[in-house]
Amino acid sequence: MKVSFPRMGYSHLAFRWLMEEVGLECIVPPEPNNETLDLGVRYSPEFACIPFKVLMGSYLQVAEMGADVIVTSGGCGPCRAGYYWVMHQKLLEEIGVKTKVIAFEDPMCGIWDFIRKLNLFRNAGGASIRHFVQAFKTAWEKVKAIDDMEILSYEVRPYEITKGDTSRALQLSLGLLDKAKDRKEVEEARQEGLKILKEVPQDINRDPLKVGIIGEIYVLLEPSINQYMQQMLGDMGVRAERSIYLSSYTRNNTFSQGEQDVRQAARPYLNETCIGGHGVNSIGETVLYARHGYDGVIQLAPFSCIPEIVARSILPRVSRDLDIPVLTFFLDEQTSRAGVETRLEAFIDLLEMRREKKRGIKSASLITLPTPRAKFDAAPKLVAADK
Amino acid sequence: MATIGIPRALAYYIYFPFWKTYFEELGHEVIESSPTTRDILDKGIKDTVSDACIPIKVFHGHVEDLKNKVDYIFVPRLVSMRKFGDFGTETMCPKFLGLPDMLAASINDLSPVMEARLDLKKGKSELFKVYSELGKRLGADFLLICRAFRRASKIQKDYEQLLQRGIMPDMAMQEVLAGSYKKAALAGREREGANQQARIPKSGLGQAGSPSGDNPCSLAVVGYPYAIYDPYINVGLISALDQAGVRVYTQDMLSHRQLKSQAFKLDKDMFWYFSNRVVQGALYYMDVKPVEGMIHITAFACGPDSIVDKFLEIEAKRRGLPYMAIMIDEHTGEAGMQTRMEAFLDMLEYRRKKRES
Amino acid sequence: MIQGYLGIDVGSVSTKVVVIDQRGKVLASRYLRTNGRPIDTLQQGMRLVGAEIGDRVEVKGSGATGSARHLAGLMIGADVVKNEITAHAVAASRAVEGVQTIIEIGGQDSKIIIMRDGVVVDFGMNTVCAAGTGSFLDQQASRLQIPIEDFGSYAIKANHPVRIAGRCAVFAESDMIHKQQLGYSLEDIVAGLCEALVRNYLNNVGKGKEILSPIIFQGGVAANLGLVRAFEAYLKTPVIVPQNYEVMGAIGVAILARDVVTKKGGANFKGFVVQDMAYKTTSFECKGCPNACEVVQFYQESEILARWGDRCGTWSGA
Repeated sequence: MKVSFPRMGYSHLAFRWLMEEVGLECIVPPEPNNETLDLGVRYSPEFACIPFKVLMGSYLQVAEMGADVIVTSGGCGPCRAGYYWVMHQKLLEEIGVKTKVIAFEDPMCGIWDFIRKLNLFRNAGGASIRHFVQAFKTAWEKVKAIDDMEILSYEVRPYEITKGDTSRALQLSLGLLDKAKDRKEVEEARQEGLKILKEVPQDINRDPLKVGIIGEIYVLLEPSINQYMQQMLGDMGVRAERSIYLSSYTRNNTFSQGEQDVRQAARPYLNETCIGGHGVNSIGETVLYARHGYDGVIQLAPFSCIPEIVARSILPRVSRDLDIPVLTFFLDEQTSRAGVETRLEAFIDLLEMRREKKRGIKSASLITLPTPRAKFDAAPKLVAADK
Repeated sequence: MATIGIPRALAYYIYFPFWKTYFEELGHEVIESSPTTRDILDKGIKDTVSDACIPIKVFHGHVEDLKNKVDYIFVPRLVSMRKFGDFGTETMCPKFLGLPDMLAASINDLSPVMEARLDLKKGKSELFKVYSELGKRLGADFLLICRAFRRASKIQKDYEQLLQRGIMPDMAMQEVLAGSYKKAALAGREREGANQQARIPKSGLGQAGSPSGDNPCSLAVVGYPYAIYDPYINVGLISALDQAGVRVYTQDMLSHRQLKSQAFKLDKDMFWYFSNRVVQGALYYMDVKPVEGMIHITAFACGPDSIVDKFLEIEAKRRGLPYMAIMIDEHTGEAGMQTRMEAFLDMLEYRRKKRES
Repeated sequence: MIQGYLGIDVGSVSTKVVVIDQRGKVLASRYLRTNGRPIDTLQQGMRLVGAEIGDRVEVKGSGATGSARHLAGLMIGADVVKNEITAHAVAASRAVEGVQTIIEIGGQDSKIIIMRDGVVVDFGMNTVCAAGTGSFLDQQASRLQIPIEDFGSYAIKANHPVRIAGRCAVFAESDMIHKQQLGYSLEDIVAGLCEALVRNYLNNVGKGKEILSPIIFQGGVAANLGLVRAFEAYLKTPVIVPQNYEVMGAIGVAILARDVVTKKGGANFKGFVVQDMAYKTTSFECKGCPNACEVVQFYQESEILARWGDRCGTWSGA
């Protein structure tokens, strides 16, 4: 049985390892590219959000590569994403693709269904229960280690002296982690990887702005959809943190930890615990970022995302009350890197001027604008057409 | 006595008889906002983020319309209407859930909003609990609350029965609300008679081969109540169909039992109350009480409808049922709507002729 | 010889080149259509401006802005490369003392910039398609067979502007045709289009922004008097169109270049020779990892000026 899964950030390293470890043949979806988008847009409803379209395209690509089964997650609403696997399955049938979509629903809503599906995969791979459980635990450690490395890379990047050092170090670290075979090795790889990242030559005299990125999970986690925004900010000399990582997400939403704070913070603005997706989180996290002295917040949301539109309607009030600028991007298949970059640069200028003004530097006039640090990693859209 | 304003938008089309009766029985005056107009829509557009769907924009406009005219604006937070779905987690669309907060963030100097959180998946008794709480806030005693609640429930039931008998909400509302006050009951009847007369299909209307009166074309029009019953945002589609001599069926003309009987056809229930009603109603008209065609009215940038519409499209295609989705937004033009409707009806007529020959 | 500073703004629709003096006065300026060929157009603009100032001016520093700013910056050896929002804000705050709102409508994008005490505090750019931008009017003008330059004069003659619905340029066009068929006068339709653009702009780009006067209206579209009137009617306050409304972005970045050079010295400007150089771009697929990034190389004559497009920094960092 050839198994595939949705790709989100670097997590595919852990998933691929897990599946191969339990005896399944794994097909890793290619990083979403133009072909993925074209396919997805072609076969998806017009107003489905970008995650739906990208996944649709991805599923068709892996089906082409021979995947029999696609494993994904379900959900119990009210965000649309929990229903997507049903629609994906239906659309694949319509197109005449035989690949099946199997979704794991929230175990809290139905533990037996969860176990039944797990067993299906265990039997298909022929792993013993003991081995299966061990592999899961190791894979989980890998997910956490990947997140740790990624987080550190965003802390290091704004200080790096030679552009690209951090990205190279991160690739190296992830490569080490990918080779680890059990929990002990994962831990060693994690330590080594973090060390490599810390050793990137840095200019510690810089004083980077701090920006928090909030919003919907898929567009936060998949850099090819958000135009590698977090990395782009790092290159611009900004310390960009984001609110969601796969390890924290799964931990929070399955066992309800740490979520309390966020909801509490959101309450004065959005007095409803669950409006689906990460709508409440987006409000709460903005409040928390403001309280922790961040210079600004960036909201990322798929175009037509219901919970994020609710959040977007309320965020201006939060922004006013707590005096923290919020920039929203509604991302879709037409989002261009050049457009994102221009807005980001302007936003960074705005934050920089605010900070200087707040610190009481006298010449807060426009003369003291920082010189640009963003260099030429972004191809202006026109150039591509010109060649 | 207070004046309570109820925006003529979103859940209005389904629950207004209950709300009006309840507040009036408690001794308050109820004012509904005027029917949707260009002006109301424009105000709504100004207040909301451009990515919001049109029903939400319309709702904001209606709230603006009531602003400064009333003591309170009643904006219930409709979380869930029942326990339903694979995990019992059915809710309303997330925009309903965040509605009072969105209003508070986007409209300045709002008349006090009277909020009530209805989460009926907790149990049937929740409904009374919420409304008695609301009644207490308005200073009513328990006895009065009980009476008003009973009264309102009765009216609501009558209303839903009228809908199920195939009467459109505007007329059904007139009927039950006029009846509830015993005053001008007769006049109400007459008015209704007159209305019915007005609704008798005008023959001809310039349409070649318009279906004849004795064997009218049957058409299911499904969609959210606030999309199919607001004549402004759907540019008078229902009455246009009426005038073309078409028998229109909506999902609200089916009983809860009839709707639920279709649920097994879904691999997974939808998460949203109105969407489940639309999908189940559509399936009912596909399989149990067949119609000749189906029109789905959907709002631009409606999240749930991106799924519902594709779902219906596939199901209709599998059954060979003519299906058309009409998307409404703030710029829906009368000309475009008319053209599409006529073309669709022509197609049905053509199919009918072909079948008969 | 006067000391001057060069500012260029290469956008998707138009390319602007200006030279200002030490005090910010415009010595020469050119506004050209980009026509999808940013490099050629920029070279042409440089040739024209270079010829105009001749030997009178010594260019001490230069800056680039617009969507092709990085490329243009490389070509001329800019001292400062800045996004167009900041550039517009700089120019506007020099043109009108204490400006609080900047409306900028360009060919394919439009912006609003909110300033307080000389500092940008908020901004917005269009998120939906062209209905709030200049190309919307261009399209409709050609549809109506009116030269775009005359658009404004038609609009101000209108008695009762027609309401034209249209969040999207395509829908607006069909609605406009519908209104034409109903027999409205050309003037009323043109004025209606101006109002539609203003409404779209304010409902999309300007949504939720605190628009206070003084308000500056700039960008190529500001020439249209019909639009100015429509803005004034809608906002119920006068709107100022600065003298060099077309080239404000270029002026802004020239001012920034002046400030940077004055402060740090050392101009990198390559001179007007740019016009005679051959530029080209090539690309290849990097085989370094499965990402298979497409790396673009930008050449001036046979020398590689820059590479970009890779995610890891192997090429762009080198």
